[in-house]
Amino acid sequence: MTQAQLDGVYAPAGDIVAREIEGELIIIPLTQEPGDEQDALYTLNDTGRDVWKRLDGAATLQAVAHALAADYDAPFDAIARDILGLAEELLARRLLVAVSSAQS
Amino acid sequence: MRTDYTDTLTLTDLTLWKRLAQKRIPLAFDLELTARCNNDCRHCSVNLPADDAQAQQRELDFDEISALVDQAVSLGSLWCLLTGGEPLVRPDFPELYLCLRRKGLLVTVFTNACLVTEAHAKLLRDYPPRDVEVTVYGANQQTYERVTRRPGSYAAFRRGLALLEQAGVRVRLKAMALAANLHDLPAIARFCREHTRDYFHFDPQLNLRCDHDSRRNRDIRAERLSPEQIVAVEQADAAQAHALKKACEKLKTPAADRDNRLFRCGAGRNSFNIGYDGMFRLCGALNAASCRYDLRAGSLADAWLHFAPRILDMQSQAPDFLAKCRACPLADLCFWCPAHAELETGKLDGWCEYFCRVAHARFEAAQKKIP
Repeated sequence: MTQAQLDGVYAPAGDIVAREIEGELIIIPLTQEPGDEQDALYTLNDTGRDVWKRLDGAATLQAVAHALAADYDAPFDAIARDILGLAEELLARRLLVAVSSAQS
Repeated sequence: MRTDYTDTLTLTDLTLWKRLAQKRIPLAFDLELTARCNNDCRHCSVNLPADDAQAQQRELDFDEISALVDQAVSLGSLWCLLTGGEPLVRPDFPELYLCLRRKGLLVTVFTNACLVTEAHAKLLRDYPPRDVEVTVYGANQQTYERVTRRPGSYAAFRRGLALLEQAGVRVRLKAMALAANLHDLPAIARFCREHTRDYFHFDPQLNLRCDHDSRRNRDIRAERLSPEQIVAVEQADAAQAHALKKACEKLKTPAADRDNRLFRCGAGRNSFNIGYDGMFRLCGALNAASCRYDLRAGSLADAWLHFAPRILDMQSQAPDFLAKCRACPLADLCFWCPAHAELETGKLDGWCEYFCRVAHARFEAAQKKIP
């Protein structure tokens, strides 16, 4: 699985569209590569949705983790682990891309 | 596939659709890009000449379509069918298609494939549609062009289909069953099945013209198969015969105390249609003046939230309707619906003898097949 870094900055891939329909976040790939499942759409669970909305191509994963730890009043380490897991999954599915350097 | 954080869904994921379908959300819509077509099919209900300047002038332009699609997306639409006429007669088809995909819509394209170019095939390869549905009018030049009335159209169709297939675009083939190709239906079925793995069906239902053109309606009526011919071709096809048998097993007489609403299909509940001229309708066949809403003079939200519910609530007290169609246990085997009734009779609650005969013939044929 593609490695994500806490000091890395990530953004939604350019060839996807994320839509919210009736409270459900649906990620729609615009392109398809050999081996991709046909008609695949993606949804995120509640935690994933919160993280997704903060992956804006500006904040590091570490900053996102700090913000969520504060919002949820939860331990930073556990939140950071979850965020890394999600980011790696999204990178593997080509729904997320690494931005070369932090914007802030 | 399920992991800790994301779910992969496919379009057939019933949980998602069921949950959304319980609410009145316009998940799907048809968008007629044009009423013009490069072919002149004798059975077609929407095919003005490709060079019809007046029809072209009435068409929604790119900016109007883009704005309407924004409205549809904000109402929750996820799925769009691009149809016509022939959508590819519009030179801005590639830009329109890409615009819809980039707004997060899953797009299906209906086309006759005759105008497909390498650029179209590349676009559809790079930004895959949900699917492309191509109608096969004949399995050889003679039959094909007897239907399309356009010399050279068979070669153009084969060239376009080959381009799509070579590009790896998912193509689904289908056919219309009409007098002009009846003798060739087995060959058409073979052709379709050779070229498409997961889909083929033929449709014997020929709708009358949306523009009520009486000369063209005569052509369409002349192409309609008799109820006996329809039954024969349906029963000769295992998949359609099976579907008919299943439908017969589910038939039931409408409850005596059921209300007299006209509209009982899904149109207007989770779907709608935008005509080439910017008219909102519950479906593409519904052309009664009282059932059309001009989106150029209003908004899609107003049409969906206020206009469509009034159409859905329309009821009939016509004795003919109450005695025949309203109480008919064969309704699910019948072509009848308010839109088709209006095209046939000028009334949304009109009775159509041809439809009635087809439904009864289907039922009788299915009964004979059930041991």
